[in-house]
Amino acid sequence: MAEHLSIFLENKPGKLEKVTDVFANADINIHFISVASLGEFGVIKTIVDQPNKAHLALKENKFTVSQKKILIASIEDRPGNLHELLALLSKNEINIEDCYGFPIKEEGKVGIVLEAATYPKIEEVLMHNNINCIELDKLT
Amino acid sequence: MYWDKEIETISASDLKQEQLQNLKKTVQNAKKSTYYKNILDKININTLDDIENIPFTSKQDLRDHFPYGLLAKDLTESVRLHSSSGTTGNPTVVFHTKEDINQWADLVARCMYMTGVRKTDVFQNTMGYGLFTGGLGFHYGAEELGMLTIPVGPGNSKRQIWFMQEFGTTAIHILPSYAIHLYSYFEKMGLDPKKDTSLKTAFLGAEPHTDALRKEIEKLYGIKAFNSYGLSEMCGPGVAFECLEQDDMHIWEDHFYAEIIDPETGEVLPDGEEGELVLTTLKRAAMPLLRYRTRDLSSIISEPCKCGRTHRRIARIKGRSDDMLIINGVNIFPMQIEKTVMQFPGVGNNYHIEIKKEDHMDRINILIEVHEEIFNGTLSKLDQLKKQIIEALKAECGVRPIVKLVEPESLPINEGKAKRVFDLRDKEEN
Repeated sequence: MAEHLSIFLENKPGKLEKVTDVFANADINIHFISVASLGEFGVIKTIVDQPNKAHLALKENKFTVSQKKILIASIEDRPGNLHELLALLSKNEINIEDCYGFPIKEEGKVGIVLEAATYPKIEEVLMHNNINCIELDKLT
Repeated sequence: MYWDKEIETISASDLKQEQLQNLKKTVQNAKKSTYYKNILDKININTLDDIENIPFTSKQDLRDHFPYGLLAKDLTESVRLHSSSGTTGNPTVVFHTKEDINQWADLVARCMYMTGVRKTDVFQNTMGYGLFTGGLGFHYGAEELGMLTIPVGPGNSKRQIWFMQEFGTTAIHILPSYAIHLYSYFEKMGLDPKKDTSLKTAFLGAEPHTDALRKEIEKLYGIKAFNSYGLSEMCGPGVAFECLEQDDMHIWEDHFYAEIIDPETGEVLPDGEEGELVLTTLKRAAMPLLRYRTRDLSSIISEPCKCGRTHRRIARIKGRSDDMLIINGVNIFPMQIEKTVMQFPGVGNNYHIEIKKEDHMDRINILIEVHEEIFNGTLSKLDQLKKQIIEALKAECGVRPIVKLVEPESLPINEGKAKRVFDLRDKEEN
């Protein structure tokens, strides 16, 4: 099962560096990281190789963290493919809380991260339509 | 030069006689209220000094006997009420008969006339209308004096300046902090109020300010600015006001009996000594208040004033003997803010409230530590929480706060009694 971490941060110089410092010291490998900001504060979203260990290390360093289950759908890197995936989900009335994509190890494929409120329905829908979900160790 | 020469220059002995008569009447009238009936049972007023046998009345007494406990006249005799803001506990409500309103208007007219404004002046009222007494109090007083009165109300600097210029406003009622803020707006528009308006007089009120700030306002606008004192429990503005000497405020002793007490012991202090101002209404019919503790710290100046008025003066208010905050003219107790913030699940005790001066205006900053109880990983949830807290506080206190979300353990931890509200306004600023 894959998970991603969300970290609350004040939007000030040096804040992001503190997070990467915690990861480096705990020997955590970062697969993906993004920052969304609302001016004075923001949320860092990250996929790491050891989410539980990373969560603990962040907590020990007084960060506020939310850890959530995600699916990483592995789909072909071609025009229209993301649209087909999303159309499939909407047809099945599955609401997506969060979604973003990044390249993965497998040739010709991209990873689409899906955070949903309706597990395991989303897993069943993907399985029935032969869409493969990959685990964290297959990412890079 | 006088609005009412006879009363404003009354001799000390005549004033005392009139005060005694009216105190007797007030005590008799107060006995008709459920609150004062028992308290005044054995009280006899033969001399003015007998007032010291009457126990003090506090704001809490008004709250405890909400809403009609201190009403001395039938409710149908009242034509208006004013109330403190907020929903935390009972507000303090004050009732007025038609005659009370007329007397109040006359008092405010007396105050304004004393500063030199006349019926030929144009008066712009930038104070809030509504439950707050500052707006309506000056409005009625200005009309009583006969000035063209523009009830603009607070805020909207562009509109304020437009009215000033279009109608040749000569006198303005304004919060001292807003006067400074408004000046920066004049500058932004490339205007100079000294040349581009007809302003002559400003009545500063509703928040304590220093003499230095008054002088600054006078210099910026090229006007005379007068300090005023009032509180809704007495009527509102009109209790005490500066004359042309601008040397502390005449307290209208035909309407109010003033004492200064030691706030700790309740002992009455002699003139000149600093303590808490205690006031007794001498003419109000609907809701007489006896020995009301204003919580404002001042002193009584009995030396005669050069202006010829015989009513003694009170010194510029030095502070409060309780924890009430005055934020842009609005009275707020820290408890109101705390209760409002704490009702949000997950916020718990992880917050800190700072009152600061920013751009000469008071600001409430609420710093909330984001812990896992309120963090679900999304920005939108945090943004929503922030907006809900702002709205809740605006509804409770009438002041729009700034909410800042901060990281855990970034707020200082207090030893001992948890203090969460910090007034960081420098009292000597400006």
